[in-house]
Amino acid sequence: EMPPASGPSKQMLHSEDIEMEPETMETKSVTDYFSKMPMGKLTSSG
Amino acid sequence: EDQSIHVRYRMEASCLELALEGERLCKVGDYRAGVSFFEAAIQVGTEDLQILSAIYSQLGNAYFHLHDYNKAMEFHRHDLTLTRTIGDHLGEAKASGNLGNTLKVLGRFDDAVVCCQRHLEISRDLHDRVGEARALYNFGNVFHAKGKSICWSGVDPGDFPEEAMTSLRRAAEYYEANLSIVKELGDRAAQGRTYGNLGNTHYLLGNFRNAVASHEQRLLIAKEFGDRSAERRAYCNLGNAYIFLGEFEVAAEHYKRTLQLARQLQDRAVEAQACYSLGNTYTLLQDYERAIDYHLKHLIIAQDLNDRIGEGRACWSLGNAYTALGNHDQAMHFAEKHLEISRETGDRSGELTARM
Repeated sequence: EMPPASGPSKQMLHSEDIEMEPETMETKSVTDYFSKMPMGKLTSSG
Repeated sequence: EDQSIHVRYRMEASCLELALEGERLCKVGDYRAGVSFFEAAIQVGTEDLQILSAIYSQLGNAYFHLHDYNKAMEFHRHDLTLTRTIGDHLGEAKASGNLGNTLKVLGRFDDAVVCCQRHLEISRDLHDRVGEARALYNFGNVFHAKGKSICWSGVDPGDFPEEAMTSLRRAAEYYEANLSIVKELGDRAAQGRTYGNLGNTHYLLGNFRNAVASHEQRLLIAKEFGDRSAERRAYCNLGNAYIFLGEFEVAAEHYKRTLQLARQLQDRAVEAQACYSLGNTYTLLQDYERAIDYHLKHLIIAQDLNDRIGEGRACWSLGNAYTALGNHDQAMHFAEKHLEISRETGDRSGELTARM
């Protein structure tokens, strides 16, 4: 079923430009991980 | 043996350096350059799967900010597979959240719901209240977007098909569930975001008084943080709600604040939108001189931005306002401009209206 035809008179009242808040993306930081890494892990690993 | 350890050390150090630089660049908003460093880091490689997960995740987020959602999906998928493989539950929750947000933007709402559900389940299992609240917010956003995608353009809020209304009601439930947690946690920033989107959900449901109440809360919190972008969004959304409450003078005051903030923030597209809204509001108030003033401002910005659709709308509105004032020459001029633009942009309904 098609939406009803809309003229600008309807658009005038219907603001489709509602302003959304941003998405919250989860972060994984290399800096945080690196700073928590025990000293010498790189050389002793393996 | 010594040689092999040395090579591996150099490789890990080099991968880390590249990833750290990528991270620094993304933090300052240079996502394009950040992507290059992260991709180079992957090329070098690492045996540390936690670092690899962080790189995938940040690459996904960088592509998300660059609006390359297919690439974002690809890297968040890699991250999800990796975290599942190594049994990193917190990492899996985060990857699920990010993938869900990306699938939502791509309009894949059912897949997004599965990701949100996983994010929510793991957060609850880990007694991670912050994660739980974030998953509920994401859930709300998915149902809001799903509802909005079914809404017919040209139909007033509150009169959408039942399927859209059901999704929007679910969105409101998730936002309310999120609010009860973030209030308990005292997280004002998160409350601000949720009030904003809850307000928009009430607006689409046709509950304009509730929409105003939510957006007032959003505005208050935006002011607490000195967040002018959020303040601008709240004023615009309040203006929209007051239009449907029939309080046009109040709506105009809110749109004027939107316009002021858009100018301060030097956001031309939003400035144009605010002028358009003000032009329409003054038309509703039958103050056609002011309506023309704002529609002309809108027209000039639309022309500057090369926004032909905006230009067409401005011309159509100007044609109407001049007709109302009895200035038929100007009315005809803008009606013809509107017809010309409608033909060019392939706007059939615009073309038909113009011919009338």
